[in-house]
Amino acid sequence: MSTLTSKIQVVFEEPACGKNLSKSEKERKKGCTKQLAPGAAAGGCAFDGAKIALQPITDVAHLVHGPIACEGNSWDNRHALSSGSATYRTGFTTDINELDVVYGGEKRLYKAVKEIIEKYNPPAVFVYQTCVTALIGDDIEAVCKAAAKKFGKPVIPVNSPGFAGVKNLGNKLGGEALLDYVIGTQEPEYTTPYDINIIGEYNLSGELWQVKPLLDAMGVRVLACLSGDAKYREVAYSHRARAAMMVCSKAMINIARKMEERYQIPYFEGSFYGIGDMSDSLREIARLLVMRGAPDDILARTEKLIAAEEARAWASIEPYKARLKGKKVLLITGGVKSWSVVAALQEAGMEIVGTSVKKSTKEDKARIKEIMGDEAHMLDDMRPREMYQMLKDARADIMLSGGRSQFVALKAKMPWLDINQERHHAYAGYAGMVKLIEEIDKTISNPVWEQVRSKAPWE
Amino acid sequence: MSQNADKILDHFTLFREPEYKEMLENKKKNFEQPVAEIEVAKVREWLKTPEYREKNFAREALTINPAKACQPLGAVFAAVGFESTLPFVHGSQGCVAYYRSHFSRHFKEPTSCVSSSMTEDAAVFGGLNNMIDGLANAYSLYKPKMIAVSSTCMAEVIGDDLNAFIKNAKEKQSVPMDFDVPFAHTPAFVGSHVTGYDNVMKGILAHFWDGKAGTVPKLERQPNGKINFIGGFDGYTVGNLREIKRIFDLMGVEYTIVGDNSDVWDTPTDGEFRMYDGGTTLEDAANSLHAKATISMQEYCTEKTLPFIALHGQETVALNHPIGIAGTDKFLMEVARLSGKEIPDALTKERGRLVDAIADSNAHIHGKKFAIYGDPDLCLGLAAFLLELGAEPTTVLATNGGKDWAVKVQALFDSSPFGKNCHVYAGKDLWHMRSLLFTDKVDFLIGNTYGKFLERDTGVPLIRIGFPIFDRHHHHRYPLWGYQGGMNVLVKILDKIFDDIDQNTQETAKTDYSFDIIR
Repeated sequence: MSTLTSKIQVVFEEPACGKNLSKSEKERKKGCTKQLAPGAAAGGCAFDGAKIALQPITDVAHLVHGPIACEGNSWDNRHALSSGSATYRTGFTTDINELDVVYGGEKRLYKAVKEIIEKYNPPAVFVYQTCVTALIGDDIEAVCKAAAKKFGKPVIPVNSPGFAGVKNLGNKLGGEALLDYVIGTQEPEYTTPYDINIIGEYNLSGELWQVKPLLDAMGVRVLACLSGDAKYREVAYSHRARAAMMVCSKAMINIARKMEERYQIPYFEGSFYGIGDMSDSLREIARLLVMRGAPDDILARTEKLIAAEEARAWASIEPYKARLKGKKVLLITGGVKSWSVVAALQEAGMEIVGTSVKKSTKEDKARIKEIMGDEAHMLDDMRPREMYQMLKDARADIMLSGGRSQFVALKAKMPWLDINQERHHAYAGYAGMVKLIEEIDKTISNPVWEQVRSKAPWE
Repeated sequence: MSQNADKILDHFTLFREPEYKEMLENKKKNFEQPVAEIEVAKVREWLKTPEYREKNFAREALTINPAKACQPLGAVFAAVGFESTLPFVHGSQGCVAYYRSHFSRHFKEPTSCVSSSMTEDAAVFGGLNNMIDGLANAYSLYKPKMIAVSSTCMAEVIGDDLNAFIKNAKEKQSVPMDFDVPFAHTPAFVGSHVTGYDNVMKGILAHFWDGKAGTVPKLERQPNGKINFIGGFDGYTVGNLREIKRIFDLMGVEYTIVGDNSDVWDTPTDGEFRMYDGGTTLEDAANSLHAKATISMQEYCTEKTLPFIALHGQETVALNHPIGIAGTDKFLMEVARLSGKEIPDALTKERGRLVDAIADSNAHIHGKKFAIYGDPDLCLGLAAFLLELGAEPTTVLATNGGKDWAVKVQALFDSSPFGKNCHVYAGKDLWHMRSLLFTDKVDFLIGNTYGKFLERDTGVPLIRIGFPIFDRHHHHRYPLWGYQGGMNVLVKILDKIFDDIDQNTQETAKTDYSFDIIR
C-alpha cells in the first residue's frame, strides 16, 4: 500500500470521530467521504483542504509542486492574518510543464526548495503534492528528505493530492503532516502551567486576536495555534502545552486526538462563536488546566471575566432587539457554526428557521437539537435549488452563509451575510457576536432589498 | 547643478534637490519673516475646531473657494449645443478666455467662442460699435449658422440693450437680416452658470418660436407626439446624452435633444478640425415647439425655460439629475407616460443588473457617511442615490443652491431613515465645507476637482463627480444617467472605498495583515 493510501486509511479510521465509530467495519473501510456525483457541483479538493489548514503558518514557505493551476488560482486567498512574517502570503510553485510531466518533476522540486532557502531562508519549507505530480509518480517525501538533509532545514512533505478526496480529508492530511514531521521537533524556552494549544483556528479576519485578550486576562498563554498566526517553531513545540481546545471539529480532530495520545494533552471541542459558547470554552480551558495541575484560582478569575464580558455583550445586543425581533434566519454553514451562533441570534430576538448540517458531526447535531429543539430545522446537504425555494417562499429574512451561496440568496431576493472565510469582520468572541448582530441588522435594513424585492414599477 | 541634459527632472522632483531646498529655506528664513512653526501648527489646529466653524459660518461678505461659476459660462454651454452655433459674448474678452479654457480643461476639446472685446471707450460710450463689428467679423471669419449672444457684467453694468444692438447691427449689414442671432442677458452678478444656461436656452427657443425678435410671424404650435429633452448644464453631457439617446431609441420614442453638446465636445482626431459638430439643428429647435412635452433633467437649470415652454402649451416635467434606481425609474416612467411607449425588456434587465450590483456590494457602502457639493440638481441626484444605497449624505452643500432647493433636499432626507442625521447647506462655499469636514466627520467627499484641496487638508478621500474635473481625464465620456450611469457612479464610489481600505492596510509589517486581494 502506498504511503498516501495508508495515510488516508488512517485518517478514515479516526477513533475520535463519532460518525466513524457508528459505522460497520466494512463501511469504515470505504472511508468517510461520500463519493462525489460526477457532473454535480462540488467544493474544494484535498489539496485545497491541506493548503488552507497549513497556510496560516506564517513564517514558512508553502511550495506547491504541480502545474500552475493549483497555486496560481489560490495563493493568498484567505484572510488569515499574521502578526509578523508575511512569507506565507507569497505564492511558491514549481509550475511544472510538459517536459516535467514526461521526465518527472522531482529535480525541479528539489531546485525550487533550494532556491527558496537561498532567497528567503524560512524556518521550514512545506511542499504540497498535487494531482499531476502524484500521477506521474514524483516522490515528494523522498525529495523533501533529501533536501532537508542537504540544506539542514525542515522540508515537510504534505501528501494530499486533489484526487485523494474532498477538502475535509485534505484538512486532516495536512494535520497528519504536522504530526509526522513538525510537532515535537523543538522545545519551548520555558513552559507555564497555563500553556494551551488552539487547534483548528485560522485567525481569519483576526478572530484569534479578538479572543486572545480574554485569554490574556485569564492568564492563559497560547503556546501554539494550529494554525492561525502560527510560527513554525510554535507548532514544533506545541507538544508541551498542558491542554488544548479544538475549534473546527471536523478539520483537525486527528491532531487533537493524536496529541492527547502521544503527549497526554487533554482537549475539548469548543467554539468562539456565540456568547454562551465563548464562556463555556473559557471555562473548559480553565478546568482542563486545573486538572493538569494549574493553581485553581484561575477558575474564579475566569468566572469573573465571563460575568463582566457577558454582561457587556448582552447590553450591547439589547438595542438591536427591537429591530431584529421576529426576523427569520437561515444558517448555511457547517461544523460548529451550525449551532454556535444560534444562541446569540435567538437572544437578539431572531428565529432560526434552518441550519445546515452537511459538515456537522453527530455532536454538532446533538447540540443543535439541544438548542433549537425541533429536528426539522436541520438541513442536510441543501441544494441551491432548495435553498432558493426556501428563501423565495420568504421562510427567512436573511441567510448567513459562505460566499458561494451568496448568489442563491440574491437571486431569491434575500439579504445575505458572509460568515465564512471571505467575510470582512471578525465574529469571534463576545465582541464578535455583537459585531455579527450589528452586521445582520445592517444587512437586513439596507434599502436595496426593497428594490431587490419589488419589480420595476412599470411591470 | 542637479538639472542636466542627460536626465531632465520635472518639477515634481527637481526642487527636491538639495540646492533648491537650501535656496527655499534661506529665502524663507531671511526674507519671509516666518511665523514660528509652533504658531502655525496652533492656528492649523484651531481651524479644525467647532469654535472656528462658528466664526466661519458667521461670514457675511466674503466667499472663499466658491463652488459655482458665472452665468456666461452656462450661456456658452447652452449655445454650443446647437448646430454650427457660435457663442458670442458681448463684453470684455478676458471673460471669454476663461470660459474657453474652463471647458477645454474639462472636456479636453476646444470650445469656440468669441467676444465683442469691449475696451475702456466702449465702456464709456456703450458697446454698440463692438456689437456691429463683432457680429460682422464673427460671421465672415467663422461662418456659423447661428450666433448666440450673451453678455458679461461689464455690458450689463452700462446697460447695453442686446435686442436693440442686434437689430442695429443687422441694419448695418453685419449679418444678413434673416440670420439667426438669438440673445440672452446673462449678468454674472446674478445667479450662477446654471442661470446662464437657463437664460440662453430660453432665449434660443423664444427666438425660434416667437417670431425671431419681431422679424417674422410667431410659429403656430401644431402638436405632435415628440418629446423634447433638455439635459441642463452637465459635466457628463457627452456620456449622458449618448446614453439618453440610446434609451430613447430602445423605447422607440420620437425625441429632440434640445441643446446637444455630445458631439462638439467629443470630436474625433482624423485630421479635420471641427469648429462645430453635431448639435440640435436649427430646424429641430424651431419644431420643438410642436412637441407633446419637454423633460428637463435638471430643474434648477431650466427654472425660466420650462415655464416658458409650458406657456406655449406643452406639458413639462422637471427632474433633479436622477441617478440610481428610483431616479431612473421615474425618468423612464415619465418618458413612457408622455410618449405612450412601453419600457422594453432590455431596460428592465439593465435595471435588474444595477439592483444586483448594489445588492452585491451593499455591505461596503451601508452606513458610510458622505459629504457632497456641486450644482443643486447634481446634489439632489447623488444624495438620493446614496440614500438608496444605505449610505448617509451627511453634508450636502451647493454654493448656487437657494432656499427652495434646501427645502427640497431636506424633504429628501426626511424620506429615508438614512437621512436622519444629514444636513443641507445652501449658498455656502468650500471653506464652509472645510469646517464641516472637520466637525461633522464623514467617510468620503464627493465633489469636483477643487475638492482635492479639501481632501489634502482634511484627509477625507475625494470621489470626483461634478464639474469641472480638471485633474482626471475622460470622466465626461461615461454617463451618470440611466441604469448604466448608476452603475458608473456605484463603481466610482466602490473603487474609492476599496482604495481607501488598501491605503490603510498597506504598511509593510504594520498594517498589511489586512492587505487582501479579495475585498
